[in-house]
Amino acid sequence: MLLTLFLLSSTVVLAAQPPSILISRQLAERAHLRVGDVVTFANDPEGTRRSQFRVAGIYEPTPDPMRFTSPRIEARMHLPDAIDVLDDPADPASREALSGINVALSDPAVARRFASDLSARAPGVVAQPTRPAREDDPFAVLERFHIAISAVTMVGGTAFLLALMVIRAEERRETVGVLRLVGISRRTLLCSVAVEGVLIAALGALFGVLLAVATEGLVNRIFQARYDTSLVFVRVTPSIAARAVAIAAPLGVIAGLGASWTLLRRSILSIVRR
Amino acid sequence: MTSLLLASRTVRRYRAQTVLAIVGVAVIGALLFDMLLLSRGLLLSFSDLLGRAGFDIRIVGGSGLAARLPIEGSASLIEAIRALPEVERVGAIRIQGATIGSPGKRPAAVTVIGATDAAEGAWTLVSGADLGSATAPCPLLVGRGLASALGVSPGSILELSIRPPAIRSVVPPVACQVVGVARFAFGASSDDTVATTLDAFHRANGEADPGDADLIVIASRPDAGSARAVAAIAAIRPGVRAYSNDQVVEQFNRNGFAYFRQISFVLSSLTMVFAFMLVATLLTVSVNQRLGEIAALRAIGIRRGSIASMLLWESALLVGAGGLLALPLGEALAIGLDRILRQMPGLPEQLHFFVFETRALIVHITVFVVTAIAAAAYPVWLTARLPIAETLRREVVG
Amino acid sequence: MTVIDVRDVSRIFPMPAGPVMALRGVSLTVSAGEHVAITGPSGCGKSTLLHLVGAVDTPTSGAILFEGRDLARLSEVERGNLRLTRIGFVFQRFFLLPMLSAAENVELPQAEAGVGAPERRARTRELLAYVGLEDRASHLPSQLSGGEMQRIAIARALANRPALLLADEPTGELDDRTSEHIANLFDRVNADGTAILVVTHNPALAIRASRRITMASGRMVE
Repeated sequence: MLLTLFLLSSTVVLAAQPPSILISRQLAERAHLRVGDVVTFANDPEGTRRSQFRVAGIYEPTPDPMRFTSPRIEARMHLPDAIDVLDDPADPASREALSGINVALSDPAVARRFASDLSARAPGVVAQPTRPAREDDPFAVLERFHIAISAVTMVGGTAFLLALMVIRAEERRETVGVLRLVGISRRTLLCSVAVEGVLIAALGALFGVLLAVATEGLVNRIFQARYDTSLVFVRVTPSIAARAVAIAAPLGVIAGLGASWTLLRRSILSIVRR
Repeated sequence: MTSLLLASRTVRRYRAQTVLAIVGVAVIGALLFDMLLLSRGLLLSFSDLLGRAGFDIRIVGGSGLAARLPIEGSASLIEAIRALPEVERVGAIRIQGATIGSPGKRPAAVTVIGATDAAEGAWTLVSGADLGSATAPCPLLVGRGLASALGVSPGSILELSIRPPAIRSVVPPVACQVVGVARFAFGASSDDTVATTLDAFHRANGEADPGDADLIVIASRPDAGSARAVAAIAAIRPGVRAYSNDQVVEQFNRNGFAYFRQISFVLSSLTMVFAFMLVATLLTVSVNQRLGEIAALRAIGIRRGSIASMLLWESALLVGAGGLLALPLGEALAIGLDRILRQMPGLPEQLHFFVFETRALIVHITVFVVTAIAAAAYPVWLTARLPIAETLRREVVG
Repeated sequence: MTVIDVRDVSRIFPMPAGPVMALRGVSLTVSAGEHVAITGPSGCGKSTLLHLVGAVDTPTSGAILFEGRDLARLSEVERGNLRLTRIGFVFQRFFLLPMLSAAENVELPQAEAGVGAPERRARTRELLAYVGLEDRASHLPSQLSGGEMQRIAIARALANRPALLLADEPTGELDDRTSEHIANLFDRVNADGTAILVVTHNPALAIRASRRITMASGRMVE
């Protein structure tokens, strides 16, 4: 049943104190309401059946990722008050009808089975756990999507990294040639490249993580302002940071070694010759 | 001896880094192209699904498109709408939960659609006959997945048992004959949907009088258009919630598709910046590698403009080749990403996230042209400011 | 006719450790068709003088006139045109473009000067024959020896018929025998009317010049 909001902000002192309600911060801001204001609710746009309530408090709605684009213009009241507001005199069953029932189980692990049993026993009732199964969770799909995009970005980044490493190897061609001429082995040179690669790759990966942490706040602030929500959109957790470093660092080392090997595998003369 | 020739020779000379750079640009470009497809893909696909049924106006009960309530006085409303000169065709649809089963088998939960003849178009017939041509008292169209799961085909008999809301007792099942197998436009692959005539729906629902429709679908006359038809409908029944396809799409664009629009914008921007930085870095490092060569060219009289032109062509070749390769790569990647996203529960089977449109291609090409020019800017500036004598001296000493 | 007139030129390089005076009040003239060699120890300012004369660097003080034109009054574009059409440069490290063939390297400055393709090719064939490498026209620099590369570089320097050929240690990376070939080539170029100003450590090359100048600590000593 829809609640049509018909608001009047009034400072009229009533003989009897109207019932209390809580309103969302977004509603308070939009309708310029404060704690203590008296508002009128009606179930229809014409306001034929209206009730007055006093704003007892303003709350921040729990962010819902499934509805983050919808402005949270909402209010909370005691159930009997809500029933009185939504009552339809033409429908005797309207006082008995509910939109939803929340159930807290003593053992949350049996939620799925409980929901299934209840649906089977009560025709027309849809019961489902608040935590959906992985296959029913849209965020699980989004997670796979993001992982796929990350993988593609990594492939592209790796190609560029290799290109840069090849250029660096070429820049050092003379030095490498001279070192090989004086007897330094390929293995020694590769080891030095590997050590260098580990340092640069680790530093680079750390820099990347720090950059992500720095931009995390900015991204969240932009989207929170855009959608007027306290939902967190980006979070760099230690696990994510560790994964990023664990992937980036070896990639850097492998790219350096690979590029250096393309130079080292050639004969000494072909390295030193211009 | 053009700058293009010099640039092409240069990229050919440094073959390994050229190939790697092109691969890198292609991969990042594929991602960019896909994000451009994603930015409006869902909208285009949804719009296409809406239009495919042949109706351009929908009337719903309730305060919006998300909640489904019966439309009060729908029978008289339908008659009034049918009489409007702007309207070509009107159909009524009712939707209810039900169970369906064959004798001896466990019943399956389904969504049953009851529709008038004029509402046909909300599904695509895969096999058998449509409802309009059926003579059975309760003809049934069964969704593809359900038909396969139940092992039924045209001619099979199923028992349909509708569950009216808020009514405790269950209406006795009605024997229905499967006349065809269909693909429902807005049916999810996990949804089990069946359709029957509105009359059969009334009987199966145990109704003495036909109830109010849940959805009225209208096709406006081509010469009138949906906007005029919506206005005419509003005039005969003020307060009725009539939405043209464009309005439906716009509402879903604002609410349901916001996430994908945002993410496509963010990722498009990031990939653009990424591609620019990578190509600029590559070109800069490549120029630094050849400073002596460039200083010598300046010393023998080759102009700054010619060298700048050569660098621009180098950038264009790398970015251009990568950008072109990005298109088929992007299409292939889009198929994979679309497959992932279409695993979302409850999503219509025929809805796609990545839809090709010429606009995306034009934006893709424009972005790459701008990237090629911008990426060459710093290396060009480097070579323009190059101190010739100092560089030559350094090359000799080095 | 005077091709180059260097008047009391000094060049100071600002360095982190303090300014370095590479040239101190140097004066020099080179006439048309003259062959001048500048010798001296490393760091005496020879190459710096060459760069100033070749309009790739500007003096801190003094003036340099090329065919009567003050280089300081010329714009960068005009100096570039001068280097393209009136001056030929030969470098110690050759600096041939590695991705162009020998012929293409010689064609490059002609193309930049706007010479049409048939004329360019004809001139290139002529120059390659002049330096004795007509059969190496399609070879890349990596397929040539050091001496051959330097001969191609000389051909490139002569492409637009310059009035002055500047050579900075042209035999610096070559053996004696090859250096001898280069020296012979310079003689021929000079005999054909091109003025040459060569900076060299190589006494065998310096002795071919009609005038030898020695520099030390940024000054001319003889």
